[in-house]
Amino acid sequence: MKHTLSILLQNESGALVRVAGLFAARHCNIDALTVAATHDPEVSQITVVMHGDANTLEQILRQLRKLVDVLDANSLSLVGSRDEVRLAVALPA
Amino acid sequence: MPLPAAQDLRPTPDQHPLAGHVMTGADVVVQVLADEGCDVLFGYSGGAILPVYDAVFRYNAEHPRSNGREPMPLVVPANEQGAGFMASGYARASGKVGVAIVTSGPGATNLVTPIRDAMADSVPMVAITGQVPTSSLGSDAFQEAPVSNIMGACAKHVFLVTEPDRLEATLRTAFEIARSGRPGPVVVDIPKNVQNAQLRFDGAGRLPIPGYRQRLHAIEHARLDDDACARFFAALAQARRPLIYAGGGVIRGDAARALRAFVDAFGVPVTTTLMGLGGFDTTHPLSLHMLGMHGTAYANYAVDDCDCLLALGARFDDRVAGVPEKFAPRAKFIAQIDIDPAEIGKVKQVHWQHVGPLAAALERLTRYGKVHGAALQLDDWHAHITQLKLAHAMAYDRGSESIQPQAAIEALNRHARGRAIVSTGVGQHQMWAAQYFDFRAPRDWLTSGSMGTMGFGLPAAIGAQFARPDALVIDLDGDGSIRMNLGEMETVTTYGLPLKIVVLNNRGDGMVRQWQKLYFGHRFAATDKSLHRKDFIKAAEADGFDWARRLARKEDLEATVAEFLAQDGPAFLEIMIDPDAGVYPMVGPGASYGQMITGEFIASRASPVVTDKKTTDMF
Repeated sequence: MKHTLSILLQNESGALVRVAGLFAARHCNIDALTVAATHDPEVSQITVVMHGDANTLEQILRQLRKLVDVLDANSLSLVGSRDEVRLAVALPA
Repeated sequence: MPLPAAQDLRPTPDQHPLAGHVMTGADVVVQVLADEGCDVLFGYSGGAILPVYDAVFRYNAEHPRSNGREPMPLVVPANEQGAGFMASGYARASGKVGVAIVTSGPGATNLVTPIRDAMADSVPMVAITGQVPTSSLGSDAFQEAPVSNIMGACAKHVFLVTEPDRLEATLRTAFEIARSGRPGPVVVDIPKNVQNAQLRFDGAGRLPIPGYRQRLHAIEHARLDDDACARFFAALAQARRPLIYAGGGVIRGDAARALRAFVDAFGVPVTTTLMGLGGFDTTHPLSLHMLGMHGTAYANYAVDDCDCLLALGARFDDRVAGVPEKFAPRAKFIAQIDIDPAEIGKVKQVHWQHVGPLAAALERLTRYGKVHGAALQLDDWHAHITQLKLAHAMAYDRGSESIQPQAAIEALNRHARGRAIVSTGVGQHQMWAAQYFDFRAPRDWLTSGSMGTMGFGLPAAIGAQFARPDALVIDLDGDGSIRMNLGEMETVTTYGLPLKIVVLNNRGDGMVRQWQKLYFGHRFAATDKSLHRKDFIKAAEADGFDWARRLARKEDLEATVAEFLAQDGPAFLEIMIDPDAGVYPMVGPGASYGQMITGEFIASRASPVVTDKKTTDMF
């Protein structure tokens, strides 16, 4: 099952690597990833498309929320829809 | 911006006495370490960390204690890995944050193993690594390594300080992160130019980490409401055979006293994990000692028999719940309390859960249960537990002519009377130590549980001796494990530590050999060291040990151990043990507790099933 995750992140040195590294270390493939600025220059938004079962998704979200730079991490409601990749890529800054 | 002179700035009473003072980044580092309560540092010098080392030197010279001693001695290991494990041993034995300071490049990469080890065992540490100046970052400079990338995958958090005016707040934040929530190691990578920068000391202030703090605040203030308590006790009241499965969280969360009060109130028996040893007095009648792959047979059978399991600061790790669906198969109710939300239900689904500090949760439950008159009828279960402990007691070949490792540990335990701090390497000796020592108090047992790092024992014991100078500290090591950080033998005598080092020598990597016997047709690939020429006694003497003995005769065991532990200074004892001794019980890979191999000397209640001898992916 495909899932789209939205992650709000403090703009710190190495923060993106930590997020991407978490997926790799926990053996979870990233299908798509975009990083965008937000209205707050200190905060970035990452959108990740991944696939995995419900347990994998839950564990990835919980682990993401343990990263110090992560402000919030959630799964978007359109999980599994055909629009999600387009949505992920098209999310406004 | 011109910096105001120090005398122009009169700190207000609630300010740091040095607030407003101008100092170098290196001095800021040392001042924050002092403010955070560091009383010893572990580290090896090098080019990119020289300013900090100089600042430590000056701080110690300018602030002697009333006894003339340095307030923050810098303990120098043989290898940075030693410094990391010393800091870890210090933290594990004291509960305080352990600090290691090393140089860039190889200094930092030598620290990777202890940092990962501390992460896996939830040990609070701060590691400060020197780095090439910011102008050289990314240029493949001499002794440059991408520390933030490397450590980012291993540590709880990594900071690369590129802006000097963020240095002070970053260091304070590093300590906050290391000790809060589920503790862990934090690395602060400081380029040399940042160490040399002129800064105005603030004396307070931390980085904004709103996400982390918000989540932490919610967890630390999570309170069990009446409804949750009621559901907990309703389930417990239904149980006839409840069991507590306590993990390292009891130690890290300072919850041993709260656990004892809970057990005193409701009489639920306790088994602990390897990391939880000392969280509940193993000599208590309701203690079942350790469970798991090499747990006691009676603890494992009790897990099989229990109808209700309370997992307290424990995470159903694969050494405990190798096959999760076969773990505690009769438990109709499983409750889990943990400080880390990601551990709830990660391995095994639970019926009741609470995320929050363990001590507070247990105190709340105890209070609620007492007020509401929760009374459990556990007489039959207690009788069953007593019978299990009698029928399946730990045992080994007591009649053997050669020295059995378990006998050696029993002798050490008799003379230490359950009051020693014991550290270990990894392998058979570690499991025998876990099985045969009495653990009466938290923080007396230092072992690399999750990472299983050989070489941990000696440097961790050194760190523990610095944390608790008056304690009897024993490094119970194996011949393979101690070789890994043998350079730290010299550190013991250099600092005059009264450490007691025991090497159980079975001339090889015994645990691997045990698996090779069971699963690889007795082919001892690379684990037989009988042709190795090492003379450990000569090595100890060369490193300045005045008392170094080899014990090979069983009849000398008691007297030699007594003399060894009676030494005032450092002492080294090599015990030649039966190389064929195995660690039993053993829950083989893929097996359930019911299929546990109990060996020749411990009674099994079912005919043991040796899982098929074909190659297995289980580990």
